[in-house]
Amino acid sequence: MTTETAPAGRITLPGGEMLAWSDLPKERLADGGPLAALAARIVPPGARVLLAGPHDPALLDRLAHAEVTCLLRSHPDAVALAQRAARVIVGGPAGLPDDETYDVVIAAAGLDQVESVEGTRLGWNGVLTRLVAAVRPGGALLLRLDNPLGLHRLVSTTPWHAARDDSAWVIGGVLDQAHPANRDQLRERLTGAGLRPRACWAAYPDGATATALLDADQLDRGAGCGLFDAVLHGACAGAFGAATVLQDPARLAVDALHAGRAADLAPAWLMLARRPGGPTDPGADGNLPVALAQTGQSGQPGTGVLEVLDDPSGWRWGHHAGADAGTTTAAAPFASREAAYRDPAALSGPVPTGRLLHTLLLDAALRRDLATLRTLLHGYAGWLAGQAGADGRLAGAAALASTDNVVVDGERYAVLDPSWRATDTLPGDVALARGLWRFAAALLTGGYAHPWSSTLDVAGLTVVLGGLAGHDLDRATVAEAVRAEAAIAATLHGLDAERRAALATELQAVAPTDPPVGAHSYQQLREAWLRQREEISRLAALTRWTDELLTSRERALRRAEAKIGLLSGSISYRVGRLAITPARLAKRGARAAKRRARSALAPRQEEQQ
Amino acid sequence: MHHANHFYGHAHVLARYAGLGDRHPPRINGYVQHGWNIGDGLAPGHPYADRTPSLLWSEQTRRRAWSVGRRNVVVIGAPFTYLLALRPEDPPAQEREGTIWYPFHGWEGQHVKGDHRELIARIRDTEPGPVTVCLYWHEYGMRHVRRLYERAGFRVICHGYRGHWWKDTDPEFLDKQLTELRRHKRVASNRLTSAIFYGIAAGCEPAVYGDPMILSNEDPTFGGTARIRRQWPELHGAAVDLPTAVAIARAELGTDHRCTPAELRELLGWANLPEEEEDDSDD
Repeated sequence: MTTETAPAGRITLPGGEMLAWSDLPKERLADGGPLAALAARIVPPGARVLLAGPHDPALLDRLAHAEVTCLLRSHPDAVALAQRAARVIVGGPAGLPDDETYDVVIAAAGLDQVESVEGTRLGWNGVLTRLVAAVRPGGALLLRLDNPLGLHRLVSTTPWHAARDDSAWVIGGVLDQAHPANRDQLRERLTGAGLRPRACWAAYPDGATATALLDADQLDRGAGCGLFDAVLHGACAGAFGAATVLQDPARLAVDALHAGRAADLAPAWLMLARRPGGPTDPGADGNLPVALAQTGQSGQPGTGVLEVLDDPSGWRWGHHAGADAGTTTAAAPFASREAAYRDPAALSGPVPTGRLLHTLLLDAALRRDLATLRTLLHGYAGWLAGQAGADGRLAGAAALASTDNVVVDGERYAVLDPSWRATDTLPGDVALARGLWRFAAALLTGGYAHPWSSTLDVAGLTVVLGGLAGHDLDRATVAEAVRAEAAIAATLHGLDAERRAALATELQAVAPTDPPVGAHSYQQLREAWLRQREEISRLAALTRWTDELLTSRERALRRAEAKIGLLSGSISYRVGRLAITPARLAKRGARAAKRRARSALAPRQEEQQ
Repeated sequence: MHHANHFYGHAHVLARYAGLGDRHPPRINGYVQHGWNIGDGLAPGHPYADRTPSLLWSEQTRRRAWSVGRRNVVVIGAPFTYLLALRPEDPPAQEREGTIWYPFHGWEGQHVKGDHRELIARIRDTEPGPVTVCLYWHEYGMRHVRRLYERAGFRVICHGYRGHWWKDTDPEFLDKQLTELRRHKRVASNRLTSAIFYGIAAGCEPAVYGDPMILSNEDPTFGGTARIRRQWPELHGAAVDLPTAVAIARAELGTDHRCTPAELRELLGWANLPEEEEDDSDD
């Protein structure tokens, strides 16, 4: 091992480095995601920062206003990050110089990844003590702790205690007394180490690549909060990609929210604590974000981080100077013909309050509360219609206002995140049909109980929902809405033309007996199988019934035919037939004459025209 | 389609409302509840294909049907409420007058025990104005029964034949009933039945009194007339509170659950109908 590759001698090797190892996350969020946005807010300009453990290189870019020292166990990672940091120390925590302190210490990968396989193990407490010693009086520590009972573990098909991959040379879990296992324990440990905990964020859908950071205390109290509902659902839906899970993580997260337990089930927590004494920036912890959430798909135009701040007057959108802000507007809307684009400038002012329409509708469907469904859908359709222009078409955010991005507060409906906008205007009934179709598809494929018959397909249920909303939609409108949905979804996922066409075909073919598109959860697959089985049983019973009915009708027909045969052989029938024969012949002749006359007249009429 | 869907011209009313015109109603993908019912909404004794949707009148009936093991139960409201939507404002006929009285009937296979004479005396004592007695087809055809009521000075009518096995259904049955109901001030019967609820919905004041004329082989599964009196005492008596009756009728007929035409076409399986076949040829 040499240090030749290290630029300008920024890498120090106090011993304990891992040479054939890398921790840097393979899956990375645009601009470091919500974590980088939080770090950028916490770190004041010119501050001395210690990044302990592996972090996304983009985080260092976001901390360009500070002097950053990295502590890494992996040498290849050190080489990769050296360009971005003031200094990189490669080794275990023992390698930190004893006499150095920092304004902010960030260990957002947790403490386990700070320790090297080489040298004496300090354990979780030992590493914490060492890092706390590196925080100057008045300075801050931002620390991540993974939750042994987090959502990621509850949905995983592999039990936590069976990990066999390379990083599992030790496995931490609830059995380890030295390791805090919940927020209270973490708070106690930090207090015990001489720090004062200031704030805690719940990280979803997993600690390493959290696309949502939500204030844990607010989360405990925010059962009816539409913003948290939408952010948790958005963060967890499809978060596990192609991996098979036990159950739908989005459903579980939202259920936890409504039970006031979303912070307890968070896959990880980020806690901010300060060391007492010394000079503290007076506004340091003054306005910490309530929520930070990534919007859009990583790597796609329009990706950015939503920031919500808590003001005395209520929650408002924070002005988040994301590096992407310029690129998104440049990509939209005239530069391309994508169906949607993002305008981060639309996020200003108060965050609309209320519950998420999607959740209210699901709840009413489960309770078979048709009256509430009718009220909600009427309100939704009326509100959409009110947003339309004189030509009845919807533009901008209203055109994309589907039930999972609309909040309802009493009688008031509002788009939750108005930063996504439609490029072209949509006819009002198509926009409504798209919102209803998305809800219908989620309801049916998600296996939810509902007040309608199993014989309805997704388009049929969309029409029924339209009826409840007081709008008679036809199937052609629904088909147009599905095409619009495919185009919009393709834009959000950055699909090429071929995958876009495949998506459109897939969406059009969604059937109530299918599992949700893109999901791979055992629970949902089993439910889809049960629905298929139920449908087959229904059809089999119907076939049996039809068969029996056919037999009985055939018998009735045979009897009737026998009767006709008997009667047509009778003398009275023959006499009657003889009597009407001249009339029948005359009628036939008249009809033939009429036909001839008509054909003779037809060309003449054409000539006249 | 199940032949019960054709009873009283229900399928015809629904087809008209769904915008299919006066054509023969297409097959319904389910069973339409054909009368007010204290059970699961389906007629006892009829064979039904398992898991086929039940299209019920009210939310209460839906809950009850679910609780006795029925699945695929959907509330669409009574066909009569669809008729009301089709004929919201009939030509304002002559002023409403008198009472239309429905002596409880069984259907062809049932035999009513009870004394028509006693009932007639009770009607005479109670009803303030002229009385129209509407007999069920079966009893209308029985000369002696008809005579009894005619001799009492009542006008005796019949709305038509409900039909059986698709035969002889009077597609105008419900229409005739609505027209008659709208001519009268009051609607009455010796049992709480569909006709009372129809009458309330058509603007009549209801009354239920007199011998309920128990059927000789009445099915006690759902509690029979005794349960009806226990559960809906507000609707029994020679005079009942009208606002209460209107609210109950609204719930029992599922007026608020009436679907829009497009919604109904989807729920009945009429959204993707093949081109209508020509039933009649010239010869």
